[in-house]
Amino acid sequence: MSEGASASDDAINFLATVPLLDGMPEAELAELARITRRRELPAGEVLWRQGDEAKAMALIVDGRVSVSLRLPGDRTVQISTMGRGEVLGEIPLLDGGLHSAKASVVEPATLLLLARADFAALVSRRHPTAFALKRRIAGVACARLRLQLAGLAASLGDGAGAPVAEANAALESSGPPDSAYVQRLATFHAFDSLALWGFLTAGRFARCPAGRTLVAEGAPSTACYVVMNGAVEKVIIRGDRRIRVGLAGPGHAFGYESLIDGDPSPVTAFTRERTLLLVLPQDAFERLFHGETTGSHVFLDVIHRDLMVALREALRPHARLAASV
Amino acid sequence: MCRVLAYLGEPIALGHVLYQTDSSLVRQSYSPRMMATFLNLAGFGMVAWDPRSAQPEDPFTYRATTLPTFDRNLRNLAGKLAPTCMIAHVRGVSHDAKEIVSESNLHPFRFPGARVAMAHNGHLREFARMRYDLVPYIRPELAQRIEGTTDSEWVYALVLSQLEDPFGLPEARELADATASSLRLLREIRARHGIDTSSPVNLSLTTGEALVATRFSFDYGWYPDEDTLLETDLPYVSLWYTVGGEYMERADGPAMTASDDPRSLLIASEPLTVDTSTWLEVPEYSMITAARTPEGIEFETRDLDV
Repeated sequence: MSEGASASDDAINFLATVPLLDGMPEAELAELARITRRRELPAGEVLWRQGDEAKAMALIVDGRVSVSLRLPGDRTVQISTMGRGEVLGEIPLLDGGLHSAKASVVEPATLLLLARADFAALVSRRHPTAFALKRRIAGVACARLRLQLAGLAASLGDGAGAPVAEANAALESSGPPDSAYVQRLATFHAFDSLALWGFLTAGRFARCPAGRTLVAEGAPSTACYVVMNGAVEKVIIRGDRRIRVGLAGPGHAFGYESLIDGDPSPVTAFTRERTLLLVLPQDAFERLFHGETTGSHVFLDVIHRDLMVALREALRPHARLAASV
Repeated sequence: MCRVLAYLGEPIALGHVLYQTDSSLVRQSYSPRMMATFLNLAGFGMVAWDPRSAQPEDPFTYRATTLPTFDRNLRNLAGKLAPTCMIAHVRGVSHDAKEIVSESNLHPFRFPGARVAMAHNGHLREFARMRYDLVPYIRPELAQRIEGTTDSEWVYALVLSQLEDPFGLPEARELADATASSLRLLREIRARHGIDTSSPVNLSLTTGEALVATRFSFDYGWYPDEDTLLETDLPYVSLWYTVGGEYMERADGPAMTASDDPRSLLIASEPLTVDTSTWLEVPEYSMITAARTPEGIEFETRDLDV
């Protein structure tokens, strides 16, 4: 066996142990191993700084990497320390944004780096590995979001939580918005006409006045909602204390966390303004999320982008809390 | 849409924040990073307080419809000034012949005799339909001082009219309450006319000693099907802040220095640096109030539920 083949086998064997890739077929692991690059970094090396353009996702083979957030007034808050088998930088890998936190090596580390350009090439070839990885990253992002939200919930202490959510069936049905309007929303720019039609007819439209609870923290969400007009606020409530963790305006989704991982909703979502919603029941969500059609692929991107926004938004109150200490 | 900078704290190098940082206010006039389709080329305005100047309770005022990047007078003056409080504003208007670019439409507004100055980032949709419904809520002595054609100047007159003494020196709390009352009145008048299109109202107000800033929108996210401004308006209009000892050039770029108690607060429509890591986003539907104290500044963020 050549040295190269042995290194590749090592990479495949390692990838098979990474929880993110658990159960992924060997052929897909081999494809990933082929496009990842191995790097060894000493302690103290900065992998990327907060605000750097995202160029790669890192899988930790060995060592430890610290993730920290820089705050105004020369302050820093450490968010987590990650070790073998854990993944970082997967969020900007998908949305092409900037790194929201600094990553630095605290114990000499070996990493496998998946470059954004290589991942994009996989996506543009519609390679099954790309889509399998995207769905899995959605799961990881969802778990990370839950962790961040749980930290915020803990900062509020005890107290009664969310009010009961309104049943979907009780929402007043509405006709669809004008298709030209929908196409002007940035979220839907990537949909071709056929895919957009498939998406818009996958659920039903509903109008909702301001102040209605649509998703309750701690209860499973029965649908994924996409805001067409208006705005929905995502909050964590404990007694008379609350933290806003996100605001979904036109083109943004909410209520999907339960449908991705089967756990109860981590937030309460209520209409901040009167709102026109596309309601995608669980079966429609699953058909779109797990499908292999063009529409499914674009929908997956919509959910991803939304998860990334949700993660960034959930960091904001963390930063404010830390900055106010 | 526009870009605004508001400041309260230790003396700050004006030339640094207007011209020198890699996303300075003047750069944001022609190269904003958080606006999709607009530029802010309809003029520059500023009020700035310097306690070492003659009549320190009155701010230095500058307004010009010329592009600030080519304004040598402003650039030279900014290099010599270090105010302890200021609002600066680059004005953006829609690309429409109906828009009037004139000195009287430049922010911040500060009526003769008034101690409060105000700048606005946003616009009240269909303002022409609601303008004269505001008259009963604006004191006549203020209404007669309105010179320009903007919705913003009317909002300014409305806020002043909610103060116990529109020509007095209100504390931060009174200024905040007057701002919230004004937003409530605007909501009522919009409802009376059935105006329900998304209308951002990010206001910055200051007296030189107290500062109030809102990040707020009426009917956020609600647009008529045929709306042409849709793509510009989609994100909630941004507002950021950074707080600490002093804002200055440091080894790793401009940032606030460390301080046990905050001594300076800098608020901007978008961070003044490409690296946003030392800035925090002001939450949507909220208001920041700040006041000078013997130790530095006292500031808080509160929900704005009007």
